[in-house]
Amino acid sequence: MKVHVKGNLRDLLAFRGLGRKRKKQIAQAPAQGNGPDPVNQLAEQLHPGRQYLTIAEVVDETHSTRSFKLVADPARSANGLAPFRAGQYLSLKVVVDGASITRPYSIASAPYEALDREGHYQITIRREPDGFLTHHIWDHWAAGTRIESSGPCGTFYYEPLRDAPQITGLAGGSGATPFRSMAREIAYGGLDAELLLLYGSSDEDDIVFYEEFKALEEEAPDKVQVVHVLSCDEVSLAGCEQGFITADTIRKYADLERSSFFVCGPQAMYSFVEQELATLGLPRRRIRREVFGTPKDIRQSPGYPQEAGDRVHQVTVQIGGARTQVPAQASEPVLVALERANLRPPSQCRSGECGFCRARLVSGKVYILPDSDGRRAADKKFGYLHPCAAYPLSDLEISIPRDA
Amino acid sequence: MLQTLRKGYDCVVVGAGNGGLGAAAQLAAKGADVLLLEQHSMPGGFATSFVRGRFEFEAALHQFADIGPPSAKGSARQFLEDELGVYLDWVEVPEAFRLILTGPGEDLDVVMPYGPQNFVDALERVVPGSREPVSRYIQLCQEVSEALTYLGQSKGNPDSRVLRKQYANFLKTCPYTMDQVADALGIPQQARKILHAQWTYLGPPTSRLNFTVYAAMLYLFLTTSAYIPRLRSHEFAVALETRFRELGGEVAYHTKVEQILVEEGRVKGVVTAQGDEIKTRHVISNASPTLVYNRLIQPRQQVPEAALKQANARKNGVSAFTVFLGLDAPPDELGLHEYSYFVYDNMKTGEMYETFKTLDAPRAQAALCSNNATPDCSPPGTSMVSLTTLYRPEAWQGVKPRGYVKIKNQIAHNLIAHFEQATGASIRPHIEELEIATPQTFARYTGSHGGTIYGYEPEPWDSLIPRMMAMNQEKYVDGLEFCGGYAFRCHGYSSSFKSGQTAALLTFRDMVEQGEVQG
Repeated sequence: MKVHVKGNLRDLLAFRGLGRKRKKQIAQAPAQGNGPDPVNQLAEQLHPGRQYLTIAEVVDETHSTRSFKLVADPARSANGLAPFRAGQYLSLKVVVDGASITRPYSIASAPYEALDREGHYQITIRREPDGFLTHHIWDHWAAGTRIESSGPCGTFYYEPLRDAPQITGLAGGSGATPFRSMAREIAYGGLDAELLLLYGSSDEDDIVFYEEFKALEEEAPDKVQVVHVLSCDEVSLAGCEQGFITADTIRKYADLERSSFFVCGPQAMYSFVEQELATLGLPRRRIRREVFGTPKDIRQSPGYPQEAGDRVHQVTVQIGGARTQVPAQASEPVLVALERANLRPPSQCRSGECGFCRARLVSGKVYILPDSDGRRAADKKFGYLHPCAAYPLSDLEISIPRDA
Repeated sequence: MLQTLRKGYDCVVVGAGNGGLGAAAQLAAKGADVLLLEQHSMPGGFATSFVRGRFEFEAALHQFADIGPPSAKGSARQFLEDELGVYLDWVEVPEAFRLILTGPGEDLDVVMPYGPQNFVDALERVVPGSREPVSRYIQLCQEVSEALTYLGQSKGNPDSRVLRKQYANFLKTCPYTMDQVADALGIPQQARKILHAQWTYLGPPTSRLNFTVYAAMLYLFLTTSAYIPRLRSHEFAVALETRFRELGGEVAYHTKVEQILVEEGRVKGVVTAQGDEIKTRHVISNASPTLVYNRLIQPRQQVPEAALKQANARKNGVSAFTVFLGLDAPPDELGLHEYSYFVYDNMKTGEMYETFKTLDAPRAQAALCSNNATPDCSPPGTSMVSLTTLYRPEAWQGVKPRGYVKIKNQIAHNLIAHFEQATGASIRPHIEELEIATPQTFARYTGSHGGTIYGYEPEPWDSLIPRMMAMNQEKYVDGLEFCGGYAFRCHGYSSSFKSGQTAALLTFRDMVEQGEVQG
């Protein structure tokens, strides 16, 4: 076969000329470096690895709940705050007793409130009676305190291409925070959806954002509705339900045909609410659940080897060029032991989902709750783990990444 | 506790994409002391996956070329298995592609098989009378492929008499575009549409895309079919990383290289974002020359003017936009029977390429239904579909954080609608999980300039052969080699992976010449 494109000789000459043509193209090009790259710049604005924030204001919401208004630290944040979608969280980095740890907190303010140069995020935290971090926060966080944070994370947001027109939020306790964000954004006109929030609290005094939700209902009467569900025996508040968020309560208020259910609250609430939802025969795509940490006490989880709970194991950790050994309780996620030893391991969701803490298990055995096993299939095959959701069942050797 | 890295290595590989992984593993297999640095939390670069709900999505791979069956291994599989000892569970894709043209006046909807004879036969059925010219086209592709094998074996010193005698057609088509060669062979327009369907795997329109690189790709696909790792690209990446460590290599994640230190024209180390200063006389960069010459090399006076000109002369490839869909219905119920789809308005590739420059409704997409290759990749009763279109980075130039979500949702909506219109599948009512990757997403995870998913556009002057011929004269810094989609083999999983092998062997040769190791 003989192929001619422009003629035998011309083709051969063209081949010979390729090198010359290349030289010419290069010689004609500018020698100065190229400017900024808008695609990477926008990526950095949307997803900064770190944000440096300052507390602008502290507000007590209830006897046990406090809100913090966070603004960009002007000295360290040229881009202002990263935008987010209502329902997303921030992973805050806090140094407690000399050890650096992280905590994910849903953003309670609306996306539109973060957009301007003077924009802010609000996070609202419930004080845990035996939570050492919340004690630290109550004692140390005041206006002017500087806080390091991740960019906005998480997938617990309304997605118009996927979800039904009505968001039915099922919230318990401080699980109301992402819905405050959604309600405010809807009332503002930035999110085209309706929100029905069924909000469970133990009693009237325990309700967070009561007045605010009332005001938002008045501001957007066709779009925002909040129903309080109180589990105490006597309920005096008008218009609220007594008991728990049951299938009947859901049926009473929600339009099942045009609802996507968003569940956010403490672990105990998930198990209850999910059983109730199951009786409604909804397709799985209509139910979304916020990741909300690991169980308070893994020893209560069926499937966890009961005999393991009280043991302490040694974890050998490879990190960077170093190697060290730290003790780890079988009832605590490996990540907690790493943080206690102040190894500054990266982490974000602390629920097994996001994979930011991904580490390699060199040897040893861990327990991973099936519900919080967000690992990729190949990671399971090749022995990787997410230390935030893995419990040591023996002495371990792991290789973890450094803080970025 | 000090978490800094060790102070010195024979070689530092910058970036753990396909090229970086291939390079690191190959060099470690040669016995060198290698450090692999990656800014992200895991290996792979684009070769990765992610989990949403009960779905694990493939991030990038459509078809891995040059794997071939175990009985007739392609060169990528040979490199992987015979050189590196990495064995994966490869799944052969069921068909080459289904091409659907949806624009006014177009009526092409065809499923094409791999295998040269099957391909020609199928084309003849759709375009009667095409057999003869198409067979010649494929014969020419074969010559190109064999010539490249010969060039590889000759290690940069081919015998020009052999080239002229045995590979004359290869030489004579080398300076031309796909359109020019198709014209020369008299390929009927309707057949050309099918023959050129995979142009979006390489990026530029057929009026600018070099024939050689497309011919090589097409011929590999036809003869060795296409494969994917059963557990998605992440399995490929982790398997390579695992093997690299077994061979004595070290890896550090969350570790971005901020500087490549050069002294008197030679690499002398790298500096990371954490401030580690690591001594090395060899760097293999999976990051592009654009980034290396414009940003990474320090001090700046060590960047030769010619290097900047070279990087600036080349045209950065396209970026991509993908909608990932986890659906609560099986493929059959949706009416999706193929793994790989090309849905284009038409095959006027120049016109399609122009649409990559705006954010209007995309008119060209490459779609996958993963379950039709790997049925159990998602739970029973579900399926995973991804729809990808391409963008020139400038299309996104004016987008601000404020409008970003609206814009990406609108594009995703349009992509889904185009796919539904083309295939008749009803997607929208079944979406259980949805994720969208934009050029910004690709930039975020890989740092590539402009979010580019491919390397430089392989126009005739900057395609495989000219890059190969210029390798020595365009070597601007001693001890620095490039691998990945920007390297001489051009882009694609197989090319970027194998470019790592070349970079490692060149580095090793340099180590021997420098007296650092015994040859």
